[in-house]
Formats: sequence, structure tokens, C-alpha cells
Amino acid sequence: MILVIGGIASGKRTYVRSLGYDDAQMDSDPSSDRPVLLELDELLRAGALDSQTTKALLRKDVIVCCEVGQGVVPMDAGERAWRELVGRTCALFAEQAEKVVRLVCGIPVVIKDDPVPVSQKEACS
Amino acid sequence: MRVLVVGGSGSGKSAYAERLACRLSPQRTYLATMRSLGSESHKRIAKHRRQRAGLGFCTIECSDTLPAPDDGTPKGVVLLDDLGNLAANALFDDSGSMGNAQEVLDRLEQEVLALQKGFEHMVVVGILVGAEGRPSFASTYTWVELVGSLSCRLAAQFDTVVEVAAGIPCVVKGQPL
Repeated sequence: MILVIGGIASGKRTYVRSLGYDDAQMDSDPSSDRPVLLELDELLRAGALDSQTTKALLRKDVIVCCEVGQGVVPMDAGERAWRELVGRTCALFAEQAEKVVRLVCGIPVVIKDDPVPVSQKEACS
Repeated sequence: MRVLVVGGSGSGKSAYAERLACRLSPQRTYLATMRSLGSESHKRIAKHRRQRAGLGFCTIECSDTLPAPDDGTPKGVVLLDDLGNLAANALFDDSGSMGNAQEVLDRLEQEVLALQKGFEHMVVVGILVGAEGRPSFASTYTWVELVGSLSCRLAAQFDTVVEVAAGIPCVVKGQPL
């Protein structure tokens, strides 16, 4: 799985298209059989993922999530909790991802490129 | 050479962009974008002027639209600081009402690319503002999207993109400078 992160209008979806996926292969429904999940951050508005949803997401080719944790920590407790959850969840998926790409002004910056996911490495050892 | 320099607030992107412009050419033009609206903007403008003093920049004020380049041979380096202010000034009028973001995006992209023709080198300072969650105000969100989209368009066409963090330039596109 490839995890794609970046701020608002940083070029995440354009990057996923450059990998060969068209818009019909992307949506934000974790239970759909489309290979690309969009807006992980919005999915987390409803709360942490249950284990079934997490498993479904790990089978996706690409997960796209908006980076939301920079700047000022919000006054609103719900917003604070959500930002924290998005950050933690991204870190968990990043551990399982073969590749993590962060978009900066539309430029893909590869911040992890490891063909063997951590989970498999641990299973082998 | 065309370089886009981005980073968060106070990351040192302007200071880096000024040093870079100084290295690129002895003939330097600075396009200042901040509107002087209150004591805080006065202070920031004064700080940036002090930072630039003695670096030999010819300063042009341009709050919401960029000047067309002179005809003739491209001359020296132009430093545009920054896209965030320029976009805000172009998107909102003095009363705070918002224009058409798509039109502003297309216009600013064209103006930056047209301006570049008048200079051998161009350094544009942007700002990374899209990674702190969805802003509470719809108009702020529109501005964040505008700055992000404009940055993506310019980055795709520029030779080099540099992200500055803690004053350290990290090249994300192109060769190390």
C-alpha cells in the first residue's frame, strides 16, 4: 500500500492519477472495492477505525490523507482530538505502507520507500 | 533560473530567498506584497526592510497585481515575497468581500509567468498553509486552496522548489543550489 499525504490543494489526487488510477477507481468509502481510498482524514471525523475497517484499508493500493496537524492547536476539544487521531492513524498506516509520499506544492517527496512492510518483516523474524 | 521557496511562518524562507537572490545576480528587484494596514503589518514591513537593507534591492510595491515586465533584455533577478499576501490581496477587496478564486488563480499564474520573462532569474516565496486542518471560515479555506493551487502550478513549471524549515533549505525539486 502507498500512503499519500499532503496539505489542502497540495496535489495529492493529481499524484495518484499519475500512478495510473482514474477517478472512477477512487472514493472515500472504506468498504468499496475501489483500489484508492480518498480523505482518510474525513473518515476519521466519525472516530477511530474499527479493526474490520482497518483491515479493509490495508488491502487498498493507495490511501490518501490530508495532513492536518501543523499550525496552531485548535481551541475546540473535538478538533484537537480529531487532528491527533488523524496524525496517529497516518503513522500506523505509514508503518504498514511500502511507500509513503508527501506532496509539497505538487512535488512528490518520497519519505519512505521500503518494499517489505514492517508487519511482514516481523512475521519473518 | 526559476525557484519557488516555501515554508511555514517564521521558517526563514524570506531570508533564504534574499540570500539566494543575492547569489544569482548583482542586479536585484524586490516585489513587496504586504499591504500596510495596521501596526502589526507596519512592524513586519519594517523588519523585512531592515533584513533587505544593504542588499541592493530596488523595491516595487505591488499588493494585488504584478507589474508587466519591461521590454528588452531580461535583467538580473526578481524576488517576489510572497504568494500568500499576493493571493489574499487579489482575492479580497478592502472591505473583505471575496472575488472569484478561479479567475484570481489563472490571473496570478499568468502574471508571475509573464513577469519572469523580464528577468534572468526569479525567486518566488510561497507559504505552506494547507496542513492544519480545515479552516473554520469558508473564505479562509478558499484562500488556502488558492495558495496551494497556485504553488502547485508554479512548482510544476519552475526549475527548483525549496522547502525551508528552521532556516535550512531542503530541495524538493531540482538540483541543490
